[in-house]
Amino acid sequence: MTKAIQEERPTPAGIPALKLTNITKVFGPVTAVDKVSLEIPQNQVVGLIGENGAGKSTLLKILTGLHEPDSGVMEVGGKPVRFRRPQDAAAAGFGVVHQEQSLLTNLSVAENIAMNALSSKDNATKGGWYRWGQLNREAEEILARVGAKIDPRAVVGDISFVDRQMVEIARALRVDEMTHASPIVILDEPTSVLERNETAILEREIALLKNIGSVIFVSHRLDEVMRICDRIVVMRSGSVVADRPTSSVTEEDLFQLMVGHASQATKSAATDRDKGSEPLLQVSGLTRKGEYKNVDLTVRPGHCVAIVGTLGSGRESLVRALFGAEPFDSGTLSYRGKRLKSWSAAEATRSGIAYVPAERKVEGMVGGLSAAENLVLARTGRSGWFVSKGKQKKLAQEWFERLGTRPNNPSLHLGRFSGGNQQKVVMAKWLQSETLQLLILDHPLRGLDPGASETVNAQIRAARDGGTAVILLADTLEEALDMGDDILVMRDGEVTARFDLTVDAPTSLDLLEKMV
Amino acid sequence: MPDNTLSDRAPTTPPAEPAAPEPRRKVRAITVWTSVGPFAVFAVLFALVAILRPNFVGGGGLPILATQATAILLVGLGQAMVLHVGSIDLSNAAIALFGAILLAKSIGTMGAGGIVLVIVVCSAIGALNGILIAFFQVPSFALTLGTLGLLQAASLIISDATTVYASNAGLVSSLFTQGIANLAMAFWIAVLVAVVLWAMLRFTVLGQSMTAVGLNETGALFSGIRTRLIKIVAFTLSGLLSSLAGIMIIAQAGSASSTGLGSDLLLPGITAAIVGGTAITGGITNPINVIFGALTVTLIPIGAAALGVPSEAQSLVYGLVIILAVALMISRRNVGVVK
Repeated sequence: MTKAIQEERPTPAGIPALKLTNITKVFGPVTAVDKVSLEIPQNQVVGLIGENGAGKSTLLKILTGLHEPDSGVMEVGGKPVRFRRPQDAAAAGFGVVHQEQSLLTNLSVAENIAMNALSSKDNATKGGWYRWGQLNREAEEILARVGAKIDPRAVVGDISFVDRQMVEIARALRVDEMTHASPIVILDEPTSVLERNETAILEREIALLKNIGSVIFVSHRLDEVMRICDRIVVMRSGSVVADRPTSSVTEEDLFQLMVGHASQATKSAATDRDKGSEPLLQVSGLTRKGEYKNVDLTVRPGHCVAIVGTLGSGRESLVRALFGAEPFDSGTLSYRGKRLKSWSAAEATRSGIAYVPAERKVEGMVGGLSAAENLVLARTGRSGWFVSKGKQKKLAQEWFERLGTRPNNPSLHLGRFSGGNQQKVVMAKWLQSETLQLLILDHPLRGLDPGASETVNAQIRAARDGGTAVILLADTLEEALDMGDDILVMRDGEVTARFDLTVDAPTSLDLLEKMV
Repeated sequence: MPDNTLSDRAPTTPPAEPAAPEPRRKVRAITVWTSVGPFAVFAVLFALVAILRPNFVGGGGLPILATQATAILLVGLGQAMVLHVGSIDLSNAAIALFGAILLAKSIGTMGAGGIVLVIVVCSAIGALNGILIAFFQVPSFALTLGTLGLLQAASLIISDATTVYASNAGLVSSLFTQGIANLAMAFWIAVLVAVVLWAMLRFTVLGQSMTAVGLNETGALFSGIRTRLIKIVAFTLSGLLSSLAGIMIIAQAGSASSTGLGSDLLLPGITAAIVGGTAITGGITNPINVIFGALTVTLIPIGAAALGVPSEAQSLVYGLVIILAVALMISRRNVGVVK
């Protein structure tokens, strides 16, 4: 690519870019990170995996200066360092791409890239004045280094998701512009919100990053970790339980190391659920301008329809319309044989439709309420004016046990749980309903670790096998192929293909072909 | 043996992210403070006045305080309900005054019917606020600022810009002439309203739904809660409570005018709610604490006067104490979690 990439860095070879010795961090009674020692070699991609709560996040916070370790030594390029605040970490060459994008969507790409450096002795923003020409030139240069062709003047809100991720990476790389140290880029689940084909682009970029620095790559997708990383570090309960070259482990090994037991994922058995049952939800010619047009769709009890498509395929907006949360322009919706005239989220809920949105924290739950209160939030099929705290507690304990939710305390605010446990509660909110007929799931496994994914997936299967219809927008094509009885492929708002998995056996490639 | 690893580990290994245990202890202290803070603030201020001027207590200070606090408390409770769903009602004091003038005009001819009329009309105005906000997506701040103006004009018109004397005020004045434990009946009614609202928020589906809407409206909507209806209910409650405040104004003064008693309830009402620990961002409200909020707001000027603070300095004292009380009470329950 550009010549900057070939440039050799001054740090002598052989010395690890980052070396941790016995790093420990204790919060009250909890040892979050327990005597962690590891080395990140120069110009390598090291995968960091572990269940939600294994201590990864705390370790990353230590590396980025948000937490100070209680004991242990950190060495960067052979020199011991102490980070008291995030700026210290940035000065040592650490750049972070957060799990949830932290770009300011109303500012331009160049401004976002410069954001970390605004307070530094940086020419483009000297004395608080913006020098737009230089700002844009610098952004262009740094974007070129990661191989992205993005206009630095574009407003971040207008560019695609994967491009934003590239801007995040460029911003993380910006740290080395300031310090001229070899950058250590931390990617915290950068792919959890990306679609499959976008992930491929990102993987290519990560491979390029290796040429200029080291990468710590955190992900829940084991296949990805296997493809991208040179070494893989597995954490469990605050300790490093394995640190191995990728070539010496299998996905199954990693799963076992992370969770502590073997994977129980079962392939969906050939469907013998009754095909002839009356359709539960029938959609014909559903159209919303700019989102989707002429969509026909039939969902039967006990069946799963998976809808696949890239960002902009309109599938998110489509399922929201089915739940009554977004309007549509034309077409008809029939539910349980009756054509619907008015439709709202409240009516849908009361007639047995559940919706798990992708934006869990913002849309799927009320973080300020306790987990138990969230569980009964959707008053499905429940009548009466009064809340019974006793019953609420009992119900919550039952579901906490069934789903293995941790910490096992339903009276804590749901906002304090980790993502996987939050999702378990969100699922339980709908599953506990006796009137549940249709589950609409928008990326139900997004950001979940394999253990939590397994639990949530098992619940979806159990509900489906119990006669609940499911509409699934899956994270990966494999997930869609695994769960779906029918697959609908959408592109630019139109249905481009339908597969009946009892008859057809499409591969991921077949689907991908119709998606892009 | 696949599953027992999870259940085995749960008790020994501490749960999930360290984020959970660490702030949990902090939260406990904060939780205690959010439940008793407003009472503590009031008690400390009251004790201060009582120590410096012992005859404030003996000389009927408390009954005066309760009487003065009644209308502020009712308006403050209405404001708290609206704040609870994440909105604000700038018109509710104006509704109260409008209700008072309407009652003064109608009580002579209609008697108890006038009271019913005022309650119905004021609740309807509140409901209309709610409907406009819910269905036309007008921000509550802007909309109720508009209604405030309209109601002020309406009050001036129906009162002919003069003081309207209620010819049959005896019907309601017993609310202030009679009392329990030396405190006016009107005050006890307002306290009862606060208790009812507290129970409503805590034990009913409606209350829980209001909390959910206030904390996260989208999350509530996607859980099948009728968020628009909930907002309309909150504004209707605000109107209803304002009508009660209006009735109390007539009961206390026997007359009403657009510049007389009750014409400056808006800011004390909001302050009472906030000093009572209500979060202006919504979802965190304890109506019982609003009682102490209202008492604190009322005590400051009365106490300052009793202590002989010169009148030009009374506003200064009021401002400083309010800033202090709000700083102490503003809800930090979520701060430890959010950032």
